Amino acid sequence: MELIENIQKGERAAIAKAITLVESSKDSDQQISRQLISELIKKPGKSIRIGFSGPPGVGKSTFIESFGSYLVTQNYKLGILAIDPSSQITGGSILGDKTRMVEISKNPNTFIRSTPSRGALGGISMGTREASIILDAAGYDFIFIETVGVGQSEIVASNLVDIFTLIVGPGSGDELQGIKKGITEYADIFIVNKNDGELKIEASKTAADYKSALSYYKKLDELEKQVLLVSAIKQTGMEDVIKTINQIVDQNKQKGIFEERRADQLEYWIEEEVKNIIASDITKRLSSKGNISKYSEKVMKNEISMYEAVETITKDTLK
Amino acid sequence: MTNKSNNGFNTWQKSFEKETKKNLSDAKSETDEGIDIKPVYTKDDLENFSFVENNSLPGQWPYTRGPKASMYTNRPWTIRQYAGFSTAEESNEFYKKNLESGQKGLSVAFDLPTHRGYDSDDDLVMGDVGKAGVAIDTVEDMKILFNNIPLDQMSVSMTMNGAVLPVLASFIVAGEEQGVDRSLLSGTIQNDILKEFMVRNTYIYPPEPSMKIVADIIEFTSKEMPKFNSISISGYHMQEAGADNVLELAYTLADGMEYVRAAMSKGLDVDDFAPRLSFFFAIGTDFFMEIAKLRAARTLWAKIMKDFGAKKERSLILRTHCQTSGVSLTEKDPYNNIIRTSYEALSAILGGTQSLHTNSFDEAIALPTDESARIARNTQLILQNETGVTKTVDPLAGSYFVENLTDELSKKAWDIITEIEELGGMTKAVKAGVPKLKIEESATKKQAKVDSGSRVVVGVNKYKNPKEPSVDVRVIDNNRVRDDQIKKIQSVKDSRETKAVEKALENVTNAAKDEKNLLIPCIEAIKLRATVGEVSKALEQVYGRHFAKSLSVSGVYGKHFEGDKDFMNVEKKVIDFENTNGRRPRVLVVKIGQDGHDRGAKIVATSFADMGFDVDMGPLFQSPKDVAKDAIENDVHAIGVSTLAAGHKTLVPELMKALSNIDPKSKIIVFVGGIIPEQDYEFLYKNNVSAIFGPGSNIIECAEKVIDLISDNLSKE
Ligand code: B12
Ligand SMILES: Nc1nc2c(ncn2[C@@H]2O[C@H](COP(=O)(O)OP(=O)(O)OP(=O)(O)O)[C@@H](O)[C@H]2O)c(=O)[nH]1
Ligand SMILES: [Mg+2]
Repeated sequence: MELIENIQKGERAAIAKAITLVESSKDSDQQISRQLISELIKKPGKSIRIGFSGPPGVGKSTFIESFGSYLVTQNYKLGILAIDPSSQITGGSILGDKTRMVEISKNPNTFIRSTPSRGALGGISMGTREASIILDAAGYDFIFIETVGVGQSEIVASNLVDIFTLIVGPGSGDELQGIKKGITEYADIFIVNKNDGELKIEASKTAADYKSALSYYKKLDELEKQVLLVSAIKQTGMEDVIKTINQIVDQNKQKGIFEERRADQLEYWIEEEVKNIIASDITKRLSSKGNISKYSEKVMKNEISMYEAVETITKDTLK
Repeated sequence: MTNKSNNGFNTWQKSFEKETKKNLSDAKSETDEGIDIKPVYTKDDLENFSFVENNSLPGQWPYTRGPKASMYTNRPWTIRQYAGFSTAEESNEFYKKNLESGQKGLSVAFDLPTHRGYDSDDDLVMGDVGKAGVAIDTVEDMKILFNNIPLDQMSVSMTMNGAVLPVLASFIVAGEEQGVDRSLLSGTIQNDILKEFMVRNTYIYPPEPSMKIVADIIEFTSKEMPKFNSISISGYHMQEAGADNVLELAYTLADGMEYVRAAMSKGLDVDDFAPRLSFFFAIGTDFFMEIAKLRAARTLWAKIMKDFGAKKERSLILRTHCQTSGVSLTEKDPYNNIIRTSYEALSAILGGTQSLHTNSFDEAIALPTDESARIARNTQLILQNETGVTKTVDPLAGSYFVENLTDELSKKAWDIITEIEELGGMTKAVKAGVPKLKIEESATKKQAKVDSGSRVVVGVNKYKNPKEPSVDVRVIDNNRVRDDQIKKIQSVKDSRETKAVEKALENVTNAAKDEKNLLIPCIEAIKLRATVGEVSKALEQVYGRHFAKSLSVSGVYGKHFEGDKDFMNVEKKVIDFENTNGRRPRVLVVKIGQDGHDRGAKIVATSFADMGFDVDMGPLFQSPKDVAKDAIENDVHAIGVSTLAAGHKTLVPELMKALSNIDPKSKIIVFVGGIIPEQDYEFLYKNNVSAIFGPGSNIIECAEKVIDLISDNLSKE
């Protein structure tokens, strides 16, 4: 495919068009997209994929602008996939991420793509995984994936990346109770942002809270989880972040964890694809047979019980 | 005995209900501010006021009736027309002509590069030099601007906020070099940075250092320039950006409180500077509301300043400039604008303004021509000389309706002010972006009312003129202006002492680091012929440049159109489009260059999203190259350029070039909205612009056309 060549050459328009294909809901686009991804995946590039998640307004975008600017001055090439949470009832959306990444979006060494989440689980939209494969093939050193963290979403997001980072704000220590154990399994780095001005004391306190909570939940064979203090606005703490990232990548590679994760993620991906296909197939069958309405009528009339109906429909559908 | 219980009222009510076939209690009309206007007001409505005092007099507490006892009976308001364009030479000619024809004060409009602290030779401002105001790069330009205008006699107002330090410094030095001591200079510097972050968008530095600059100027002028107003606390721009009158009033006074605190934190006594605080309001089409607003503003400010501990009477008195509303003026059937402006002017006068700008009828087309400016000025001359409105002070005092409305408005504004104060004041609120969002919400509602026809705009959505007149426009050749300016900058740079200038600029930077008063070293640098851009950069080294984060309202536009046929038609088209193309139509809405008019872009973006589009919103101040990169990376179907500051003929072709530089086969279509004189349509179409949407466009119609054009374009592949 010519498209593949152009992606590998790093042509902006080709990368963008390819991402459109993988995000498309059209069948014909999906077919091309599968071919494309199958080819690209054969020759993985050198990208490290990093997830940034956190509650709305903690400064994810500002951090990415700030950390990203730092990285491009070190001559790294940076791809950013921003999943914009602003979805509306009507399904339309306003993608305003670029207004928060003004400096970095001008830089020729960046590629920034926003995608509306349309309420998809985990704030990860269809095609995010594929988009990162495209950016990898195009030669980007780092791929950032920004998602809004709301409960379960970390799990989905962390399945797309090599390093998962949770950004939190000063004074969020209390929320730790709620997040508890799950979080330590998914996040590699905790970044306490807004470590500046009046918020400095609070930020340090929050970092300490995280550190003690994390050591409490730490499994024996696990690496120490990192807690870092930064100010996205003042651009402080950025060297620590890149140093920590590089350290974790090196360590994980040495211990084989890096490859292991990618293998697990592949497994998860295959499982997901299979489930998706089955689910959409079943949905089709269900609606074509019209069993649901037929049997619920019977339940309403007390002819059969609810559970009898469920069993009958299931058997008939899977036949 | 009250009116309501008397028989006369009962009889009136019966007659009213018979005539209208409505219950009196249902016969209210709600204003944009959420105030219910009753069909009749009586003596009862003069009772239980919270702020208004019934028997007050002009020039007396609480100053509702005017800042002076005699008002226009002694001296009419100052006719002060805001103007500036092209080079200092041309603007100077224009000013002198206007002064000969009856104008009394000057008001300088600077171009956008000057506002944003860039010299005319900066690549970033290629399309903007001299276009929407006069270009001032050095004190030499400032001297030319006031050539043969004696600055000890002429009061000069300057709308400058971002680059306020080098520009005020240039004014002071220009005065000195004319032989006028700074203590004799009279006039006003706008110096109101908070509303820049909210609506006007010519900020340079982040909020905190910007507030320090404001305070520095108040400090300096209170000591050295006793006849000069140190600030013009402005609500005008808020209303123009879409705020209703309550928001305008509340935010303006809350801004004022913030400036008072900033100045007091420098150790100044409130009475040292308060008499030199001045205000600026817009006067829109809601005739009585606008009158009530000016009366309410004075009433509330007196209370606010008393609470700050002001002792001098002059500290309590709000003095204001007003400008009739530009946004109420239309591109369609433009002579109607003369009529609108006349009513607005009368409103401002009945409200008791101290000075006034009246807009020209070509407001929605371009900067005024000599001819349209003459008519605008004459609107005021006729009011002053022919109508008799100057003969009585505050003629509406005692009006059941106007007094009641004054108090209603005061109460509503006071509630908002109290809320802001409780949350920690306006600087905090502005940083969080809340006031801006509220104003955008109000603006979007207004647009929905006009687009749905529930608000009539004569000549736009009703009573259209079948034969639109064509009008002359002022054309400015920005390339020529830019070349002239570059030459002038060069000659100044050639003849100055480089070492001394460098040293002076270093002093500016150091003063910023050491938190010293900044105006003093700026005056030194400007005297030595440092440029406006150089001084701004010297400060930028310490403060950095501010980038605003843009939030958006959503659902406000769509809510007005529930069940609307045309709206649903577009929604359906969007869904069909998605089914055919695998994604929704995706449009990048952008501003390019230094143009900060974002009201239209924001409204269009949120409305399109409400109809189901995916809309990418670009930040302000992008270059054509930035826009092209953004568009291509997000693989949008179309770019909508919103351009109001006349940069389109330079910036749109640049954008086309940038797009094909990145992707020679780019299929992205480009359309343009905003202020585009008819004369430029052909030029834009020749440059492959697909459609042009001028002022007054119905957004649902825009959306339909856009989706059709995108579909057409895709089917060509
Ligand atoms: C409101 C306004 C302001 C507000 C702006 C507030 C804001 N945040 O937007 C304030 C008071 C701050 C302001 C300031 C200035 N202004 Co002004 N302003 C206007 C005014 C009165 C109305 C513009 C407006 O918002 N209309 C309402 C919106 C909804 O309409 P719209 O933008 O035209 O959008 C509609 C269509 O055009 C179309 N559309 C527009 N964009 C797009 C995009 C897409 C994708 C689509 C589909 C459609 C579309 O659809 C919209 C809906 O109908 C115009 C005159 C006028 N009547 O148009 C002058 C005007 C634009 N301003 C002007 C000037 C000079 C200035 C200043 C530069 C003055 C100075 N020297 O200091 C400053 C600086 C501002 C800056 N930072 O750039 C001039 C520009 C001159 C020119 N083009 O030759 C004008 C034309 C007035 C004049 N005749 O002198 N201004
Ligand atoms: N004091 C301080 N404020 C910050 C910092 N980083 C971000 N902010 C502020 O926090 C607010 C939110 O920042 P964003 O970057 O938009 O946050 P976000 O997490 O991307 O938000 P969503 O995308 O809406 O979820 C903004 O007002 C920022 O100015 C920081 O380092 N210090
Ligand atoms: Mg964000």
